[in-house]
Amino acid sequence: MTSSLVYMLAASAVFGIGVFGLITAEHLMQKLLALNVIGSAVFIFMLTVAGTTPEGPDPVAQALVLTGIVIAVSATAFALALMVRIVQETRLTSLWGRDDED
Amino acid sequence: MSVGLLVDVMLGLALVGLSLRVVTGQSLFSDIVQFILFGLVVALSWSRLGAPDLALAEAAIGAGLTGALMLMAYRRLVQGGGEDAVRIGPRPLLALPVAALTGTLVAVIGLVALGVQRVAGAAGDRVLEALPGTGLGNPVTGVLLVYRGLDTLLELAVLLVALLGAWAVSGDAAPGRLHQVDRRTPLVGALLTSMAPLTILIATHLLLAGTDAPGGAFQAGAVLTGCGVLLVLTGTLRPTAAAGLVTRLLLVSGLAAFVLIGVGAVALGRPTMTMPGTWAIYLVETAIMVSIAVTMTLLFARSRGLAPERS
Repeated sequence: MTSSLVYMLAASAVFGIGVFGLITAEHLMQKLLALNVIGSAVFIFMLTVAGTTPEGPDPVAQALVLTGIVIAVSATAFALALMVRIVQETRLTSLWGRDDED
Repeated sequence: MSVGLLVDVMLGLALVGLSLRVVTGQSLFSDIVQFILFGLVVALSWSRLGAPDLALAEAAIGAGLTGALMLMAYRRLVQGGGEDAVRIGPRPLLALPVAALTGTLVAVIGLVALGVQRVAGAAGDRVLEALPGTGLGNPVTGVLLVYRGLDTLLELAVLLVALLGAWAVSGDAAPGRLHQVDRRTPLVGALLTSMAPLTILIATHLLLAGTDAPGGAFQAGAVLTGCGVLLVLTGTLRPTAAAGLVTRLLLVSGLAAFVLIGVGAVALGRPTMTMPGTWAIYLVETAIMVSIAVTMTLLFARSRGLAPERS
């Protein structure tokens, strides 16, 4: 139970840090990194809850997280392609257009 | 304090510290490297949480593949727009209260979730009870292929759609030749001749072990992608502007094998997506591994197809 507590607190902190990163990032790639950090926090959260029972870890939750990891990397790959194209077309690395001022 | 708990506390602190570095780094490149490190620590923490399958998947997919894709995208940004394209500014601290509140909220939900007793007869327990009947020893593989086959099938569909989407937004321009190392230099050649067969060996082992021990098609596919990435980086495989018939068949092989066996079960009078035997599980897993490896390598190379380079 105590180890679960440690990982649960770590997952919460990582989630908060990811949200901070997502809000404050200007560069699109930083936003993608922060989103992935948030995703990892959710996965740690789920696995911590799945691993607490005395009968052994819950295989359904583990399979769900495995699916989640693959979906996350698929979405990230697509988002990276989209980002590279956006930068090519607009010469801007953020959605705010600040790079255009100078 | 026991040694195990001490390790957990150290891993927990590392998770927090590395994620902080990811969002507060001074350069985009170091952010990406910290993210890869973060993924590896995540994998370590999962091996502590009784999820070795997931630890393997996170190390190979979450840290390895995502990291490789990010570094490749970084290089394309630099190639296209120079240092301006990867410059990052300082972060405003105004978001700190929001972040603190979200973190606290997640902590409260999490602490409540930890206190909840698992319901008797929950899906997970029933999987563990019924597992011996499937001929599989690894409950996660059992859930992925036998009990929640439809989820896994749709997951493969998502992967394929991600590739199609990446093709669509990347435009029709012929793939630029990547800056490559010369594979005739002794070290690169030695690396290639030892690492490429080794990754194939490890992938095959993970695939076969996955029925009874930690491993499985997704981990194997990710390791095999490592081989593909190595071959692309050393120029042994050359990006091409069009996908050949073989590439297309390999791309859909996972989906096709899964659908054929899953729907074929209906013809035999069984429910959809049931696996007729262990041979079918091995067949589907092999097909999944190959299509994941081809899809991911193409996503990495940002090209429609790959062809061997004749030297």
